[in-house]
Amino acid sequence: MKAFLIKLSLIKFSLGWRWLLIGLCLVIGLVLIGLCVGSAGFETGLVDPRIVWEIRLPRTLGAWAAGALLGLAGALAQGLFRNPLADPYLLGSASGASLGVALALAAVGVRQAHFWFHLGLTGAAFVGALSAVWLTLVLSRGVAQTLRLLLSGVVVGVVLGAATQGVLWVAPESLQTLQAFILGSTAFVGWSAVWMMLGVGLPCIAVAVLLSKFLDGLSLGDDTAMSLGLRVVPLRWTLLAVLALCTATAVSQTGLIAFVGLAAPHLVRALVKTTHRLGLVLSSLAGGILLLAADILARGLIAPQELPVGILTAVLGGLYLLWLMHQGAMRLETGS
Amino acid sequence: MVTQVKGHWLGAGLLCLSWWLPGVAMAVALSVTDDRGEILSFERAPQRIVSLLPSLTETVCALGECQRLVGVDRYSNFPAVVQRLPKLGGGMDPSIEAVVALRPDVVLMARSASGVDQLINLGVKVLVLEPKTEADLKRVWLTLGQLLQVNNAPGVWQSMEADVAAVANAMPASAKGQRVYFEVSPGPYAASEASFMGQNLARLGFKNIVPAQWGPFPKLNPEFVVRANPDLILVGEGSAEALRQRPGWSTLRALREQRVCVFTPAQADVLVRPSPRRAEAARLILDCWARLERPPS
Amino acid sequence: MSPKPLTDALQAQGLSVHLGPKTAQNEVLHSVSLNVPAARWTSVVGPNGAGKSTLLKCLAGLLPFQGSVLWDDRPLATWTAKSRASHLAWLGQNQEGAPDLRVWDVVMLGRLPHQGWLSHDSDQDSAEVEQALRATQAWDWRERALGQLSAGERQRVLLARALAVQAAVLLMDEPLANLDPPHQMDWLHLVRSLVAQGRTVVSVLHEIPMALCADELVVMKEGRVVHQGQTADPKTHLALEAVFEDRIQVRSVQGQWVTLAKP
Repeated sequence: MKAFLIKLSLIKFSLGWRWLLIGLCLVIGLVLIGLCVGSAGFETGLVDPRIVWEIRLPRTLGAWAAGALLGLAGALAQGLFRNPLADPYLLGSASGASLGVALALAAVGVRQAHFWFHLGLTGAAFVGALSAVWLTLVLSRGVAQTLRLLLSGVVVGVVLGAATQGVLWVAPESLQTLQAFILGSTAFVGWSAVWMMLGVGLPCIAVAVLLSKFLDGLSLGDDTAMSLGLRVVPLRWTLLAVLALCTATAVSQTGLIAFVGLAAPHLVRALVKTTHRLGLVLSSLAGGILLLAADILARGLIAPQELPVGILTAVLGGLYLLWLMHQGAMRLETGS
Repeated sequence: MVTQVKGHWLGAGLLCLSWWLPGVAMAVALSVTDDRGEILSFERAPQRIVSLLPSLTETVCALGECQRLVGVDRYSNFPAVVQRLPKLGGGMDPSIEAVVALRPDVVLMARSASGVDQLINLGVKVLVLEPKTEADLKRVWLTLGQLLQVNNAPGVWQSMEADVAAVANAMPASAKGQRVYFEVSPGPYAASEASFMGQNLARLGFKNIVPAQWGPFPKLNPEFVVRANPDLILVGEGSAEALRQRPGWSTLRALREQRVCVFTPAQADVLVRPSPRRAEAARLILDCWARLERPPS
Repeated sequence: MSPKPLTDALQAQGLSVHLGPKTAQNEVLHSVSLNVPAARWTSVVGPNGAGKSTLLKCLAGLLPFQGSVLWDDRPLATWTAKSRASHLAWLGQNQEGAPDLRVWDVVMLGRLPHQGWLSHDSDQDSAEVEQALRATQAWDWRERALGQLSAGERQRVLLARALAVQAAVLLMDEPLANLDPPHQMDWLHLVRSLVAQGRTVVSVLHEIPMALCADELVVMKEGRVVHQGQTADPKTHLALEAVFEDRIQVRSVQGQWVTLAKP
């Protein structure tokens, strides 16, 4: 025990840990700002505490939690597939969620479809996303070959997307609601959504950090990973399940928010070179910060009107990535 | 009104010119101006009409010329007779081939629809009309009335106005100044004072919590609705149940006191669409208010 | 020549491998049998497509095969994953990936077989990593990202990763890729010192003159082992010349075996 404590006190605060601290401070700062931004823009005066407690606080925390789930899922996707262009939706979960929501909306008037009605849009999106990933895994017949997985994901995405269009053609009145879902929205995130996201997110990140060494080993290739004693297939199944769960949870609460899952790991890699143990946590944090900042801007810029948050995540994340590329700090390909 | 007068003069002028210009086969009988400011000339009133906007379909039928419609878009559903007509795709993305195959004398479509130029290039006469406000609707009514050579179109309009005014007068005094929130779709997208139904509500004496300067259908921060605490909420039945679950909305007086008007999709059509069924829309709201005001038996 | 050791580090008996469905055309190794002596450096040579890499992967237990592979006279199946990982280190061909990991972290991955899931890097781990990096002259770049290095530098780092495992057996597939001659010589000295420590090294080498520095040679052609024997043995030289269709000659120059191309 003593040795452990001595070791703890001697931890060199490496760059990674320093960024973690900075990130946490940033989160706290953004949460405080988020509590002050409402339908009248940024206001520091006295507001009805019920507004703050029941609307602003859960929405702020929820936006951060959804972004954190997406950031973690993005980092997992990029690590599992060894591809810097991977995002959480690459196994078809986006199309699956859209189809679930479209079916739920189309079934509103249909009395026989009570199951969908009671599931609600949230449940329909969650079930849709997970079903799509399951379909991808079935199509690719296991997780042994990453290329086959990626191709299956593309196929499932396209087919389910077409099915969604088909449902819309039959029930065109659901178009506007479905489009709102596809753009993504943090408008109605309440406490139940926050508990749900934290309840899924915390165990997921614990499992992911536990298996972070596997992701590091995987980066050297499947053969090398196997030779180092890592059981590639069962570990890949586990992390894919974590990826699917995180993505489905985020998507069911806030819709299809683009770019957060893709950009967060890149931002982390541009700032610090670290192994996955810290990298996954930092990606999660970065994703949360990105979405929370976008949500605050979405509510604050043209208050009391709102901008779609998905547009702002793309603008924020995209501009920062462009700036980094301009700086030459990023290497998307290995150089000699 | 002004453009119609100009159109008349232009038509008369062209008529005179036609006596002098060789090569003009027939005299021009009538011409109308559409939303783009284009002037379309017709030898005679068009007999075969394609309508690619539900509000225009309803206007044509309300003018009594339903039989001239040969094709409509997918979303045109009133009156019931038009449901038997060939469907030509969505209003925003119609099937150009199907439209041309019907050999229409004129195609009525929205400005925001695609295919306007294609149809014109194929030699089809396109009249671009997109009513969004009451003023728009009156202009469209009179334009179509002139195009279809309907007698007494202005007169019918006046009687429709009278119907709406009658409903407005029938509204009890308790409704005056009541603050209302009309949610068009979850988002939440609200209908402001600038929208068609917003204008209807204003006619009936309600005050909209969403002012006109934010556009007709702004996407709102749900917190705004909570803070505005409207007296009456109007919403479609798809979203009605979920309202109470929204964070912070259980405190809304309108939800606690059940002062919510829930509309079926058919009723929502009547309310939202800028169509001649304004009196019916007003009556829907009157009925709902009366139901809410009735003391529980 | 030193006397033959008493045990074999690796044995293969009746090894057959199919790529894809089990048809005659897909058979890459045809019932291969060989013994890899312990504490010796064995090199596998042969023309392209002879199945050298496939053989090495089977010996490392990375490919499904028919037949049997024995490590220290015990079948592969009786070894647990962890014991396998700490006993045998593998360095593959054309290693990809990890452009954003630091050199230090990459080499530390070699210590995975000795670590638990959550354990921090112990002092011994750090010492081994340092030793491996110094042995491959890569110590100065330990803070750089792998993607920032040249191909040759990266190869040395990956070699250090394999060394860090401190395994009794090292299997290396084309370890000299992208290495310039001075560093190839460094590798040679490294292998000799590993063997002197009692470890077994098996390499697949394209560079025949380098392969001729090994203790034992396994000559392969078209999925079969044509000859296995000591490098100095003239029969080995004849076999080598034969698989390359007599287009090379093996000669001794200044005490070293070299190949000369036949005009």
